[in-house]
Amino acid sequence: MSTAPTTGLTATFVRLKLSLLRNGLRQSTGRRAAYVTSIVFSLLFAALQMLGLVLLRGNDHAGTVAVLGTAVVALGWAVLPLFFPSGDETLDPTRLVMLPLRPQPMVRALLTASLVGIGPLFTLCLLVGSVISVAHGAAAFGTAVVATVLALLICMALARAVAAANIRLLSSRKGRDLAVLSGLVIAIGAQVVNFGAQRLGSGGLAQLEPVWNIVRWVPPASAIGAVESVSQGSYGVGVAQLLLSAAALAGLLAQWSRSLTKLMTSPDESTLQAAEPGPAERSSANLSRLLPTGRTGTVMERTLRYMWRDPKTKTAWVTALAIGMIVPVFNALQGTGSVYFACFAAGMLGIQMYNQFGQDTSAFWMVAMTISSPRDAYAELRGRALALLLVTLPYTALVGVVTAALLGAWAKLPETLGLSFALLGAMLATGTWSSVRFPYSIPQEGYKNVVPGQAGIAWASIVGGMVSAALLAAPVIAATIWLNASADGADWAWLLLPVGCVYGVLILRLSLRLAAPRAARRLPEILAAVSKG
Amino acid sequence: MNEVGAGTAAVRVQGLWKRFGEQIAVSGIDLELPAGRFIGLVGPNGAGKTTTLSMVTGLLRPDQGTVEIAGHDVWRDPVAVKARIGVLPEGLRLFERLSGRELLAYTGRLRGLPGDEVDKRATQLLDVLDLAGSQHKLVVDYSTGMRKKIGLAAALLHNPEVLFLDEPFEGVDPVSAQTIRGVLERYTASGATVVFSSHVMELVESLCDWVAVMVAGRIRAHGPLAEVRGDAPTLQQAFLELVGAGSRTAGADLDWLGGGAR
Repeated sequence: MSTAPTTGLTATFVRLKLSLLRNGLRQSTGRRAAYVTSIVFSLLFAALQMLGLVLLRGNDHAGTVAVLGTAVVALGWAVLPLFFPSGDETLDPTRLVMLPLRPQPMVRALLTASLVGIGPLFTLCLLVGSVISVAHGAAAFGTAVVATVLALLICMALARAVAAANIRLLSSRKGRDLAVLSGLVIAIGAQVVNFGAQRLGSGGLAQLEPVWNIVRWVPPASAIGAVESVSQGSYGVGVAQLLLSAAALAGLLAQWSRSLTKLMTSPDESTLQAAEPGPAERSSANLSRLLPTGRTGTVMERTLRYMWRDPKTKTAWVTALAIGMIVPVFNALQGTGSVYFACFAAGMLGIQMYNQFGQDTSAFWMVAMTISSPRDAYAELRGRALALLLVTLPYTALVGVVTAALLGAWAKLPETLGLSFALLGAMLATGTWSSVRFPYSIPQEGYKNVVPGQAGIAWASIVGGMVSAALLAAPVIAATIWLNASADGADWAWLLLPVGCVYGVLILRLSLRLAAPRAARRLPEILAAVSKG
Repeated sequence: MNEVGAGTAAVRVQGLWKRFGEQIAVSGIDLELPAGRFIGLVGPNGAGKTTTLSMVTGLLRPDQGTVEIAGHDVWRDPVAVKARIGVLPEGLRLFERLSGRELLAYTGRLRGLPGDEVDKRATQLLDVLDLAGSQHKLVVDYSTGMRKKIGLAAALLHNPEVLFLDEPFEGVDPVSAQTIRGVLERYTASGATVVFSSHVMELVESLCDWVAVMVAGRIRAHGPLAEVRGDAPTLQQAFLELVGAGSRTAGADLDWLGGGAR
């Protein structure tokens, strides 16, 4: 038997892609609705931005917007497969490894198939809008057709080449860890975009000129740049820009084909992994020497290790640390803040105590097997709370000090810290109790933090917990208000620091005492609740 | 004392029931497992082996019934029971973001063993189980066989009287299986009890001297291996007869299947 003719292969891949798209509709009603909604919104957005670009025609900055927009979309195509490897199943060529295919026909077929989909359609709309906004004259429109096709193919080839080159990483454990962390990158990226948009709003598009000057030579934006150049009569420049894009496409296709050949003929990940020598001994012995002995220290050590090594836990921590600092500091910088905003950090960090056992996943059985009395459960919960305090206590203090420094409100620092510590204690206390009372599973793969069916429990425990924490901290809050309202209260406000500390410790201890017997009694139920991930 | 043998039952199960919604997973098990034996709990997939072992080890609360291990009630006297048993469950994770050595250090210390004793035992277990070379790798990067071995090491660390293993050889390569076997045989030779579940009859036959056959949530037969096997040539044959699946022939319709001309 010989290999299938190329046209047949291409048609097969296109049909495969169409089936995959169609199968998106064959899901549960809720998913189907989400799928259809996302398609409708993408198409609507695509149409709107095309319209917007067309309306820009004749504007001084049309070229800047078109060129930079294309560059951003191309960047998206390069980065997307790294974060969403499972988004397009045809991206993973290792699924085809058992089929008798040669690289050249396969590249052609996969490239054609990759043009089918919402993403490519969206990109096409953007590109068409871009070239219309900058093309003036017949020659320019002729260039525009070539440029659009070139740019679209480059985007597709870019995504494919990046995916093929990184498929080992993407299908390995480290790649999946990376995917979980990507939520963080997107959140921080949003902040950067927000910041950039604000600056643009004040300075106008003119300040993007220097960037445009470089990017219009970078494929695939250079294809759009070519249209602009031809419109202005610089034919030589236009041809050079177009050639640059064509060369980039050829290079990408060659690179992609090489990666494919290598992928299809080299041993797979499990073989490579087994051949790898283990890493050298970790220098973690120092950590355990600093911690208390017995169950407390053992639990603390594992909790601290998980903060760093478990991607879900790490994401939660980095987010809490970042937002806990950003909110009070940004508010202070804008001059709208109050030093009391520093308490926000305590609230954000305290959330980490929630659903402690859910964070263990079904590995909680290892904990359950060693808890045979309320005393064991107490030590377990206390160890976890102490590990959290090791990070949250100094960080809360730091946020307080930084906020006070930015506002120059040093006099209010002691009471702010007292409030923060009381709130932190309250959050850890309610977190401890709801960890035992409302445990739920955290899925290990993907971005979700709750499995279907347990979202209610998760929300109830976190929202309810935060409200209860605020209520628990109410005596200290009331004391702060009272001292600030009374005539010579400010002289005594420093007292809130020790009071807050002692109060926080007391309610945490109380909560541990209440939660421990229940935890010891309900181990099988907790295990069942956290094993659904 | 009764005639079973001077109270030497390692595990005594009475009237054990478990129901998940409509489905009855375990329907009234009474069973006495003798101490110092290598005991196999066999049955097809879905027979209720995992559910039974989970309830016996205190990881799942039964709807009804009692379980005693070495004379102590699992639910009323967890202090006495948990110190005496080691468990390797199936389908539950380990703390995978710890390295193999860290996992053992963690488990041993949670069990209340002194630190240097834990480290000494961990070194020996890692050595015997052929994991010394990967002891600093994270468990998340371990293969199935390595996971089973590190799980076994964690279950043995506190030198339990009774060891419960749920499908310990599932997905394990022959070399690792032989290693696990060697360790288990040495362990039972010293008088300890191993209870393990499996659906691979050949394995059970070659390892165990006492078996309990479980089908559809009930114990169909139990006793010394020779007794359960009876006149059948192999345990596999005896088992198929017990289950009533002996006469079913597969593949009658697949007459096109076979190499050669096409």
